Amino acid sequence: MVGSPRSGDGRDDGAHSVRSFLAQVISGAALLVLLTVHMTAQHLTVPTGLRYYEDVIAWLGHPVVVVVEVAFLAFVTFHALLGVRAILFDIGFGEGAERLITQVLSLVGIVTVVYGVALFAMILNAA
Amino acid sequence: MAATTRAAPSRSIVAVRLEGVSFVANRLAGLALVAYLYLHLLLLSMLVRGPDAWDEFVDLATSPPFLALDVLLLAGMLLHGLNGIRLALVGLGLVVSPQRALLAGILVIAALLAFAGALRVFAGG
Repeated sequence: MVGSPRSGDGRDDGAHSVRSFLAQVISGAALLVLLTVHMTAQHLTVPTGLRYYEDVIAWLGHPVVVVVEVAFLAFVTFHALLGVRAILFDIGFGEGAERLITQVLSLVGIVTVVYGVALFAMILNAA
Repeated sequence: MAATTRAAPSRSIVAVRLEGVSFVANRLAGLALVAYLYLHLLLLSMLVRGPDAWDEFVDLATSPPFLALDVLLLAGMLLHGLNGIRLALVGLGLVVSPQRALLAGILVIAALLAFAGALRVFAGG
């Protein structure tokens, strides 16, 4: 999701908005690669579209797979929450509320990635 | 000397409306994908419960109603991704015109890829 450097109420947010826009573009470009890899490796090359348990565990045993999937999770979370932030900012909140939104979404992002990494570890430990 | 001002060339209402619709569609697709991200993470937690729970879920997820949802998801990803590329190119000033043709091209490519994806999904390999 890509937002405009100019916020919805017509106010020019300057360098900060341009940075957010560029971050959205760069993370989006990275996602084009990582999502293609994820979809191809995890779904399109699998006859049933989804791996059964034993195959998932064997697949996750490759360190490269874990690195790619964690990178994918980090980029997709960053891109998604930056997009949510852009939509919320376009509603037109005050500066304090915008700061709070950024802090809450940052926390949600960190929790999401930590949860994802912990999930990987739990899956491999449970196997 | 009086400054001469010239009105900016007016854009057709259809073009402006199309751009607005694509902007809103991109955001709606984005929000749906955010919801799917968290649903996906929640579903993956079933792997922790062991092979029985996961394999049962795989059987359910590969049934036709769920495969139809997969196609919808694929269409949403294609629309959001391709439209995102367009908005990025426009936002970076790399593409100024013809945006309408670019948007039409994106919709055609997204539809073709979604159709090919649907064939792949329902063919089951």
